[in-house]
Amino acid sequence: MTPNGAAAFAIVMVVSAMIAGPRGLAILYAAAAAFALVEVGPHWRIAARRAGLIMLPLAVFMLLVWVAFVGRAPDEIAAQVPGTRAAALAYVTTVCARLFVIVLVLQLATLCFDKETPLAVIRGLRAPFAVKRLLVLTLSLIETLRHAVDRSYTALIASGIVTRGLSLRNFRNGWILLQSIWLTTITAVTGRLRDKWPVEDTLGLLRPAIAAGDERVSFRDLSWLAVALAVGFMAPLAGWYGAP
Amino acid sequence: MFTTPRLIAIALCAALNFSVGTIVYFIKLPIYFDSIGTILCALLVLNDRTTAFLCALTAAVTATIVTGILVNPFLPWFVGTDVVIALVSALLTTRGAQAFRARPMHAGRFVGWVFAAGIVTGVIAAIVSAPVVAYLFGGVTGSGSAFVVGMFLKAGQGLWNATLASGLIIDPIDKTLQVLVAALLYRATPSDFIAMVRGAPARP
Repeated sequence: MTPNGAAAFAIVMVVSAMIAGPRGLAILYAAAAAFALVEVGPHWRIAARRAGLIMLPLAVFMLLVWVAFVGRAPDEIAAQVPGTRAAALAYVTTVCARLFVIVLVLQLATLCFDKETPLAVIRGLRAPFAVKRLLVLTLSLIETLRHAVDRSYTALIASGIVTRGLSLRNFRNGWILLQSIWLTTITAVTGRLRDKWPVEDTLGLLRPAIAAGDERVSFRDLSWLAVALAVGFMAPLAGWYGAP
Repeated sequence: MFTTPRLIAIALCAALNFSVGTIVYFIKLPIYFDSIGTILCALLVLNDRTTAFLCALTAAVTATIVTGILVNPFLPWFVGTDVVIALVSALLTTRGAQAFRARPMHAGRFVGWVFAAGIVTGVIAAIVSAPVVAYLFGGVTGSGSAFVVGMFLKAGQGLWNATLASGLIIDPIDKTLQVLVAALLYRATPSDFIAMVRGAPARP
């Protein structure tokens, strides 16, 4: 499977998940399971675990707000009837199931290329060069920002300006930390733009590295796209079938 | 329009949106803090309003896609809010750019611009995002502001009213804080980096 096929499959599945009712979601889960078994193999557990880790805090939060606090489902609120916690729970379950399948599909699509570097995946995408370059630079700068956070945080702890734990000093000097992170990043980026990249011809080398790899859409990609489209067509219909 | 230094600025601002927005999302503060980079991008790329808007929008959409895939599945549905934040930043917030970088700082003008830009951005963002929150997610998303929506619902408000009221309370405060942070970061950014991004000779 190519990155283009995985992206197309994921986009259609995500849109379908947003318009599907509970029965439609069951069809989406079946399609996601088939995709996991065929394309990802035994590593599907990793995708499921990652999706669970993203969704678990969200599910707990939604249970807290809807079931424990509000105690009614949105349709009961709209109809201005005294609701039940059971209806609120059913609503939270549907929303969480919808979001879980979205996260799962995105994780599965990502996991298809687990053995490849982000650069190789972006290289394979059929997208304008500017878009690919922006994606590569964003991923690279997220790393730069993370390094800047580590450096600034360590330096400010060492100099006693902020502390490791919660403290009033952190609240007072948090701004210094933010400014320090920003300036560290800007310094690194200015240095790269002005000196490092021109000397190493990094951007010149980036063009052939990411522009030349546009992979053709394969039969396998088209098959999965057809599956996703069929599921996307059936998902809303499944909700209407048997409805009162 | 998308020169290499501008692409770098866009990517940096997208990374800023992602990093700060993710932290705030995980600790469930009743604010969002996921548009600092969008506002900052408009301020940094201030050659003309169209360029500022397009660069800010690109930073916002890039951050939304990355965050949506990696962390927050709710976020991609708020891409319309990204558009209006980028638009207001390019049309209004950038008018305060001189006040944000004035040395010495004129506190009154600085604070005035921060409040004006923050409140206008917040009110418009609240109006644009309310239908998504109400009709797509039933009023409650994963952010800490859901507690405020919950409070309104508990008090007997309808779904639409609760969502809009919550947005109109939280968004202006959130966006004012975001404009404040973006303005302070813009103020702290070295002149030579801004000149590089704008493609103009450096000014002191």
